Amino acid sequence: MFWENIKLALSAMRSSKMRTALSLLGIVIGVGAVVAILNLGDSATANITESLNAGGTDIIQIWTNPNERTEEVFTSEFSNTIKNSVEGIDSVMPTMMYSASIRANQKNIGAQIMGTETKYFDAQQLSFKQGSAYTSMQNINYDEVAVLGSEIAQDLFNVENPIGQKINFILRSGMVKTYEIVGVLEEKEQSFTMSFNDSVYIPFNTFTTKLINNDVVSSYIVKTNKDYNTITVSDNINKFLDTSVGNDSYNSFSPAMITTMASQVTATLSLFLAAIAGISLLVGGIGIMNIMLVSVAERTKEIGIRKALGASPSVIRGQFIVEAVTLTLIGGFLGILFGSFISLAVTNIAGWTLSLSTNSFIVAVGFSMFVGIFFGWYPAMTASRLDPIEALNYE
Amino acid sequence: MTNSVIHLEDVKRYYLVGDFFVKALDGVSLDIEEGEFTAIMGPSGSGKSTMMNLIGCLDTATSGNIFIDGENTSGLNEAELAYIRNQKVGFVFQQFNLLGKESALRNVETPLLYAGIKPRIRKKRAMEALEKVGLADRIYHRPNELSGGQKQRVAIARAIVSNPAILLADEPTGALDSKTGNQIMELFENLNDEGRTVVFVTHDRDLGNRCRRQIHIKDGRIER
Repeated sequence: MFWENIKLALSAMRSSKMRTALSLLGIVIGVGAVVAILNLGDSATANITESLNAGGTDIIQIWTNPNERTEEVFTSEFSNTIKNSVEGIDSVMPTMMYSASIRANQKNIGAQIMGTETKYFDAQQLSFKQGSAYTSMQNINYDEVAVLGSEIAQDLFNVENPIGQKINFILRSGMVKTYEIVGVLEEKEQSFTMSFNDSVYIPFNTFTTKLINNDVVSSYIVKTNKDYNTITVSDNINKFLDTSVGNDSYNSFSPAMITTMASQVTATLSLFLAAIAGISLLVGGIGIMNIMLVSVAERTKEIGIRKALGASPSVIRGQFIVEAVTLTLIGGFLGILFGSFISLAVTNIAGWTLSLSTNSFIVAVGFSMFVGIFFGWYPAMTASRLDPIEALNYE
Repeated sequence: MTNSVIHLEDVKRYYLVGDFFVKALDGVSLDIEEGEFTAIMGPSGSGKSTMMNLIGCLDTATSGNIFIDGENTSGLNEAELAYIRNQKVGFVFQQFNLLGKESALRNVETPLLYAGIKPRIRKKRAMEALEKVGLADRIYHRPNELSGGQKQRVAIARAIVSNPAILLADEPTGALDSKTGNQIMELFENLNDEGRTVVFVTHDRDLGNRCRRQIHIKDGRIER
């Protein structure tokens, strides 16, 4: 009986192709929109996650916001205090920052000067195009050496080899300091909190003693132990800092935390958009109801004949519900194709990698079935309740 | 109780039209035995169509009892009436009432479909029925590819395919020329000879007189 009903449904659709196509369009667009939005949401999340994770998901960055009470606390020794107070930390690196104008090769540009320890390069997964990192010895000896970000090197030296060349830092006081270039970094995608390519790196100790006379640390870079969850460690660090320095004295970021937040936001957003797209599916459903009511009215005589031949009300109802569901399922499958195509086009233009979610397809098929049953019910009931004699005499 | 195939006990069928009742059938009692060939005759508006609809379980009586093949149909719901129509009654209509988009074969199969019979057996029995009415070579034709007489033969095949207790024909020759009508009448006579109970509703005196028994209806009552 079920297959008979599907055959009947298909033959009914064939007999009014244009009308069927138009009422299908509503479902195709509705399902297509839902599928496209869910898939684009997934792809966007994947894309955001990828770029946030560029700096490494095991890194937590603590920016200091010193006041009179806490500027004594934020020293390089405080790194050890953090490391010893919170479980799951591999290392803590103090970093200093200073924006200055730099000059080399008869060119002037603005740059961020960072004072970091040698292990910073490893922690941030930075690799060297030319030369190498300054050594720990050079840090201890306050050597005036520098590592250039790829963009800085490109701007100042273009194709020339900068290794061994001199670079001048022009401080805000007007003083000029001269450093020797020992390494150039490979280009690295900018992370959420760091732009690696337009910074210049010098040893931490050199920074605090020779560049500017200030030892209040700008930020602490925490590398978590790989056996621990970065977000948990980050939470514990925050708890520790809240009690030791107060929550107004620092801001902490971890790519892992931001990734989680960002995926939550995009998931919520795409769910919200999909719900809006669902409204168009509702409108499509009303279109289905309309065509089904027309179909029932047109086939009154047929319904009368079928009833005379022994079709019970439930059989007639089944016939029309199957017809409505067949209609919406065809629309649903076309909608999946349509939505996937849109996702493919958009991700291509945006340069994201497309991640098609099976969930969106299940949701789409489920929704179109539901729409078919829901909006097919009333027309099917109308058909099943027709009086057999009146239906037979209908012309 | 009775052994009649059709047994009507003081059957009334009133319609409410506006503010007053139309007494389409006003107390009819009747017995039709198995194997009878009965004509129900009367002018239009006499109540003969109402009677046919009641016997065919397309309609329910206002009061009285109707027994079809021993089963009381009063108080049955839509689904139960559908079951009786499917199992016990074969309809032949003046306007054929074939399913226009389906082949002759599929038309004849339809009652068996609703009886829940398997496709293979359905097809076999439908072919046999079509053979019986002399349409074995037209089974894949659609109604619009068939002549009036052929259409009515398909309808008759459809009416007999489920082997019902009653063959109920409502002016089956009304839409046909007299020669074709005569052939259809002969077909009914043959089916009756095989033992089928035929109830033939007509206002045509000549056709009615060819039946073995005539029941005349006028103003909702049996006249004679």
